[in-house]
Amino acid sequence: MKRLLGVALGILTAIGGFVDIGDLVTNAVVGSRFGLSLVWVVVVGVVGIILFANMSGRVAAVSGRATFEVIRERLGPRAGLANLTASFLINLMTVTAEIGGVALALQLASSVYYLLWIPVAAVAVWLVIWRVRFSIMENVTGLLGLTLVIFAVALFLMKPDWGSLAGQLAPAIPEQETVWTYSYYAIALFGAAMTPYEVFFFSSGAVEEGWSVKDLAQSRINVLVGFPLGGLLSISIAACAAVVLLPAGISVTSLSQVILPVAEGAGKLGLAFVLVGIVAATFGAALETTLSSGYTLAQFFGWSWGKFRRPAEAARFHLSMIVCLLVGIAVLATGVDPVLVTEYSVVFSAIALPLTYLPILIVANDPQYMREHVNGRAVNVLGMVYLVIILVASIAAIPLMIVTGAGS
Amino acid sequence: MTSASAPLPEAPRAAGRILDAQLHLMDRQVLDHDGVPVTTVDDLEVGGPALDMEIEPGSPPPVLTALLTGSVLGTRIFGGRPPSSRLIRIPWKDVADVGVVVRLGIKGEPLDASWVERWVRDKIIARIPGGRHDPR
Amino acid sequence: MLITPALAPAAKARTHGAPGFAILALAALAFLTGCSGGTSQSVSTAVKDSSSAVATARIALRQDMDGKLTRAAASTTLDDELKEVQTSRSTVLKLSPASQEDRDLQKQALDVLDQCAAGFATARAALATNDGGTPSLSDGDKALAGAQDALKQLEDKVGSK
Repeated sequence: MKRLLGVALGILTAIGGFVDIGDLVTNAVVGSRFGLSLVWVVVVGVVGIILFANMSGRVAAVSGRATFEVIRERLGPRAGLANLTASFLINLMTVTAEIGGVALALQLASSVYYLLWIPVAAVAVWLVIWRVRFSIMENVTGLLGLTLVIFAVALFLMKPDWGSLAGQLAPAIPEQETVWTYSYYAIALFGAAMTPYEVFFFSSGAVEEGWSVKDLAQSRINVLVGFPLGGLLSISIAACAAVVLLPAGISVTSLSQVILPVAEGAGKLGLAFVLVGIVAATFGAALETTLSSGYTLAQFFGWSWGKFRRPAEAARFHLSMIVCLLVGIAVLATGVDPVLVTEYSVVFSAIALPLTYLPILIVANDPQYMREHVNGRAVNVLGMVYLVIILVASIAAIPLMIVTGAGS
Repeated sequence: MTSASAPLPEAPRAAGRILDAQLHLMDRQVLDHDGVPVTTVDDLEVGGPALDMEIEPGSPPPVLTALLTGSVLGTRIFGGRPPSSRLIRIPWKDVADVGVVVRLGIKGEPLDASWVERWVRDKIIARIPGGRHDPR
Repeated sequence: MLITPALAPAAKARTHGAPGFAILALAALAFLTGCSGGTSQSVSTAVKDSSSAVATARIALRQDMDGKLTRAAASTTLDDELKEVQTSRSTVLKLSPASQEDRDLQKQALDVLDQCAAGFATARAALATNDGGTPSLSDGDKALAGAQDALKQLEDKVGSK
């Protein structure tokens, strides 16, 4: 019974923790402009994140080493430093976007201007990182994030024309959009689903929680069941936007537009659920990205790290996270639109993907680290296919961004 | 010049393990006696003849004297060499084991290599309430 | 004393510059191509963005009237969409139209966007007054509907060029 509860908790946490501000905004924008014609990208992204979360968790559980420690050892300091710089800066952008997302959601709930919520959100993130135990932090935010299932509920309550919705699933470019914007948003959606920080966080989290080989089965179930259901959540966000916003000619540019379909379908109660869900999901993601910043720096330079240690025993790790949060507050205080930061962060995440995934693929095949748990043939074939997809997306991202003017 | 029939003389047996400096030592994590991370190996200090001098026949081979960390990482990537007095060393005699990580036989806290960690801890982290609280 | 620099990274460094150059070249190219576009293109974009904003505001007001949306969320939505309209307006304002036709278009666009802003003012005032007072929520909706029609007319005009 206790094992069953443990398994259920793991799966539920994976579902609730799947969505972050990048998924919320990008899926809503895509739903409002392209209908469901980009849903196939979400499917591709979910399979990809399952593949790589699995690999990075396995690497950490078997070898006891987290991602960035391994990157430097395998690729050398120069490539490792380039990797660190790019990953760290993009991570920082994501931290900023997530904290902005928390503030925007709190503004929707309270009418207090979001700039006033930003320091509150950042301090709350820091306090949780400072004091709360890793497993409690993960479980609470993950379970509360499950309330985002209200998107699917609202969709059903609105009784849409399922036939025409299903018809939209075919990958076709709507008439008011061009092939360039279609491709650009495909890459953005891909970057939103396959966030690089997930790999750092998953592998470092495995070390934090002391995973060993016997925990691999549990993690595999969490990932194989939880992530697809999380992907369904993303699709329901897009579907809600497609049903309510697309026919009205609305293209999403703010978080308030993302929640209007939920209010349409489920009223004030639905609104309450979705706001709790957004705050929980973005807060959880803010925790994960802030911790990832700390993990990447500490693992590259060999500092003592981990939430399982006293802050006094991992001083530089905690200091770097405090600095990250301060930088995030400073950037948001300039008044830049957090939704704009989010839209850029998902595209830049897509650009940085090869940096993170190539080392994981290499190490997961290395018998010195993995002993007998190296990748099987099937995983390697899938891994190579995804490496090609990731490289194509990464290379095409900047030219598309320029050609489309960042999607407008 | 050896002929096909005469076998090569046997290589002299070396006691202990044979390590490749680049492969097994460089960029490896250094853990102390209790498993707490200290730093990564950023560079190695090797004693012996200087770079631009002729090696006289019969001179002893170079000997690894210390692991280096700190600013040498920057000079290793971008070029240059810090002065000898500025190098942060972990003497080779303190290394207990080399495997996937390099383990020291001593505690890492009082080492030269940990000075930044000590400074940040004393000046910043310990001053924030709850800094010494055990999260478990 | 010897410190051995790794030889392999030196070879890698030579290829590191190339992608940077490519990105710079692409950026320069795009900057140059992005410069052209003209008045009618900018007005068309502004009209599209403002239509989206006004439509959102109307949905929010209707949901508030139906009791589906909280006051806080409705007023936040209106504030967000008003910002969108104001951004569009300032973009149109900063245009430097070349021909008389473009100047007329710019003036027309500014008039329509002012009407939108006025509609938003009515709607926000309606939300702020609690029950009963003027303007009422339906007044706000009517004002926004008028703005939406004006935007549609302008869009048709720009589209037919």
